[in-house]
Amino acid sequence: MKHSTPKPISCEQALKRVFDFIDGQLKDRSREELEQHLAVCRHCFDRVEFEKLVKTRLGKLRKQTDSAELRKKISLLIDSY
Amino acid sequence: MQLSADEKQSIRVLILRLVDDLHRVAMQLTGRADAAEELVADTVARASERFRQLHDRAKVKQWLLRILTNTFISTYRQRKSHAVVSLDEHDGENFSLFDQLSVPLLLWGSNPERELINKLLDEDIQKAIAALPEQFRIVVVLCDIEGLTYQEIAESLRIPIGTVRSRIARGRTILQKHLWEYAREAEILPRSHTKALTLQKEQEHEALHT
Repeated sequence: MKHSTPKPISCEQALKRVFDFIDGQLKDRSREELEQHLAVCRHCFDRVEFEKLVKTRLGKLRKQTDSAELRKKISLLIDSY
Repeated sequence: MQLSADEKQSIRVLILRLVDDLHRVAMQLTGRADAAEELVADTVARASERFRQLHDRAKVKQWLLRILTNTFISTYRQRKSHAVVSLDEHDGENFSLFDQLSVPLLLWGSNPERELINKLLDEDIQKAIAALPEQFRIVVVLCDIEGLTYQEIAESLRIPIGTVRSRIARGRTILQKHLWEYAREAEILPRSHTKALTLQKEQEHEALHT
């Protein structure tokens, strides 16, 4: 099947797709259209990079918790059922 | 409901494998170590009572997260008598930190939006997350901190993917607005942003007088 070129989209359309894009939720055609727009629009490109940065910063809050005591409590709790 | 020894062993294995995940999410939602442990314990108690309702063990994480978030919501509402926040009540619907901070081409090379994010401490961001209404806090934590997909969040919370998508968008928008307000109050806005504002004022002044 012939693969057609993605159709151009506006900045408004592009910005509506930013969160889906950074979360890996955009389907092929929709993603290609956005990627094509980002290749020619500095403002939207910078916006996407910024939202990725915020997402990465939030991801750094994912820290290991000390669950050793909690594990013991949970085990005892399950025994009571 | 009395669980058999085999059932107890099964649920023990399933839960202990995921206890770190549950504990982390509970910490993010409650913001306190004692409350987080209590929330996990309540979740385990409820999961043990309903263990025979778990039909697909491949989805045990989503099942446990659903119990945990439901327990959090009901306990939180009971304790704080917290009013249910309407999804339409919050301002700043189209707010974006990027739009507030990005600078004109004249100052290209400076990057105040990146500067601000790098200046924020974990504690500042945790406070902004804690200030989110619970519907938004839950999806932002599950998506941005725990790295769950929209599908996994939808299955965990038993809500449509479209609702997950809109809550994530709204949650991020409100979070950015909180961070912006905090940055202004704490006077930690990047210098290049202040410079851009000065430049803009000068241009407006010039336009008025020419």
